[in-house]
Amino acid sequence: MPILLSTEWLIGVAAVQLMMLQPTVAKAVPGSGPAVEVAWTERRADQEAYQTPETLRVLAASSLQDVLPVVARAWDAQGGVPVRFSFDATSRLAPQVLRGAPADVFISADDVWMRWLEERGGVDGQSIRRVATNQLVFVVPSGAPDPPRDAGSIAAADLPRIALAGENVPAGRYARAALESVGAWSSVEPRIVRGGSVRGTLEWVARSEADGGIVYRSDALAEDRVRLAFAFEGEDPPAPAYSGAVTARTEFREAAEAFLDFMGGAEATAALSAAGFGPAGAGGAVAQAPAVSGGSSVLDGSTTLGGPMGLDPWSAVRLSLIVAFSAVLLGLIPAVAMGWLLARRDFFGKSFVSMIVMAPLVVPPVVTGFLLLSVLGRESALGGLLAAVGLPIPFTLLGATLAALVVGFPLYVMAIRAVFDTVDRRFEEVSWTLGVPKAPTFRRISLPLALPGIAAGAVLAFARALGEFGATVVLAGNMEGETRTIALAVYSLLESPSGRGATWILVIASVMLSLVALLGFEGLTRWQRRRMEDHHGR
Amino acid sequence: MAAEGHAEGRAAGGAEGRIAGRAAGAQGWGLHVQVRVPLDAIELDVDWRPQSDHVAIVGPSGSGKSTLLRTLAGLDPGAEGRVSCGDEVWLDSDSGVYTPPWERRVGWVPQDALLFPHLSLRENLAYAGAGPADVEGMAESLLLADLLDRRPRFLSGGERQRVALGRALLSAPRMLLLDEPFSALDRPLRSEIAAMVRKFSRDSGTPIVLVSHDEHDAELLADERWVLVAGSLSKDGTSA
Repeated sequence: MPILLSTEWLIGVAAVQLMMLQPTVAKAVPGSGPAVEVAWTERRADQEAYQTPETLRVLAASSLQDVLPVVARAWDAQGGVPVRFSFDATSRLAPQVLRGAPADVFISADDVWMRWLEERGGVDGQSIRRVATNQLVFVVPSGAPDPPRDAGSIAAADLPRIALAGENVPAGRYARAALESVGAWSSVEPRIVRGGSVRGTLEWVARSEADGGIVYRSDALAEDRVRLAFAFEGEDPPAPAYSGAVTARTEFREAAEAFLDFMGGAEATAALSAAGFGPAGAGGAVAQAPAVSGGSSVLDGSTTLGGPMGLDPWSAVRLSLIVAFSAVLLGLIPAVAMGWLLARRDFFGKSFVSMIVMAPLVVPPVVTGFLLLSVLGRESALGGLLAAVGLPIPFTLLGATLAALVVGFPLYVMAIRAVFDTVDRRFEEVSWTLGVPKAPTFRRISLPLALPGIAAGAVLAFARALGEFGATVVLAGNMEGETRTIALAVYSLLESPSGRGATWILVIASVMLSLVALLGFEGLTRWQRRRMEDHHGR
Repeated sequence: MAAEGHAEGRAAGGAEGRIAGRAAGAQGWGLHVQVRVPLDAIELDVDWRPQSDHVAIVGPSGSGKSTLLRTLAGLDPGAEGRVSCGDEVWLDSDSGVYTPPWERRVGWVPQDALLFPHLSLRENLAYAGAGPADVEGMAESLLLADLLDRRPRFLSGGERQRVALGRALLSAPRMLLLDEPFSALDRPLRSEIAAMVRKFSRDSGTPIVLVSHDEHDAELLADERWVLVAGSLSKDGTSA
């Protein structure tokens, strides 16, 4: 019976979607993406010597992504063990080290996370040293007319959106400290949009989605589309500094130490400064463990890692529900129209249209988000028009809703298409011969008969919208109270060791909502089957 | 009633009855169907001008009977040729004339009834706009009065066919197209419903085109019989 097949199939699709949620979360960093692995040499040393590593595994802050391979090339040239890097935000790497990720060297973008690891025995405290420094700079889109000249003028400047890295990412915390030190934090805070990483933040400024942003000098130098407005100078707060350490679990302590030593040498220093980094000793920082915990305002927080500030789990639940319901409502008419069109009409380019509609099902949501940002961002014609009529998309609830809708739309359309496929067209034909023309027939016969499928599609789209992460974080950011839905809040909390309680509230809410949605889907499927079965069973 | 007489003489074939009935509509009622419709294996190719008000088309399944009805109803966009009813042209593929089904008002009663599953019997009967009194009266004469508030899925096959018939009759049709309308009814009920349909037809002057593979059904209702074999239509007697 065709209806049975199609409903089983829909349930299967739903299951696949649920399975897809997991990798979605793992993928969800705009810009730099997930930990990027760069293998430097294919040289395969024989494994005869237990202490001689085949490769040295280095987990490093993502802002070092461009420069460390250059350093490694020099290291490689002088006969060092091949190095393999994994780059990601320090806040994601440090917990990974503690959980036993394979790593010999850890390079942190701030001392707080390094100390956190040291206290928990993740790294060898004796090996902690300063490996580089950086500088915070304020960047604006390259075409910006009148950028602020110094930190003090940010508060008064006409900059409706200022991009910062997330609260847990060192760059984000440095930026906050820098703004606090000039007394600008409270006036700037409402205008802040949070990126998942420095690179993500930079991308927003480069695309003029944000009017300004605080990033590292090294990142700013690598991006042509932004202009450096000014640098945060002075001792308070101290310049961002990278520290390196040998992990506690390494089996190759000597090679790891040697690599860290090499990073302090002349060759590495030259490569670092060419890329915009400061030398390891800049600002008086000393490459000793005690100095790392010295009394600066960044470090005063001690082990208080400043969990996601002001994250309210109930606001995330509320936002998720608003986003999911709005996405379902907004998509209702387009989904019915598209489902009907695909089921009932043959037209030129039908397979192409179908492919485009279904694409978000298989395209990684982060990519979908990027494409949406390209089409609906302020720089685009459409996005500019929408912003001009007061409907800006990026970083708004509307943006989060659109992201959720586009990603859930394929499921919506598939369910509706399936029901229009199974409803006997002759019901419509009978209606026509009874003197009722096409439009009223659609309203009185086709729509009511398709209702269970439409409802099932809405429920699937709703469930998918609840789980949406990747496209949302790229298009709408991760803004507390505005676009931070359950999935985004959980992600933020997972990076903060202090946020477990709130995480559980969200996890339970999320699972419950999804299960209720799937139960609803199951019920609607049965309803449809019963109604249709009867006719077919004659 | 005449229909009862027909029911009596079913076994040997009511030839006399048919001939007697035909005289009434000898000049025909203006339907002229001259079409070609490609089917799966054959082509339906007819030039048909029925004379009587009560016409039956019999033939084995797959001969194109249902397609002919659909063409009359305007549901088969593949038809080439010309269909006219009185002075109205319903289809003229040469000049691109096509009248949609809702303007033809043929009371199509499909073989499997196709009652709207989301509507009660009352709502099905009233679908084309009949008032409550007409609906009740129709239900009464179709022996459905007790079932009016049920949904189609709770009905037997025979009950469904009667509702489909009633729904078509209540749409004030210009003609009735019946596709195996009595296949799910038992014999006594067939005669009774057939009599009712004939009465309706006579009272309202509505011609009937009936399609069936069952000779008996044809005898119950029709005065004029055509045989459709492999897409070709011939007047009864020349080929049967």
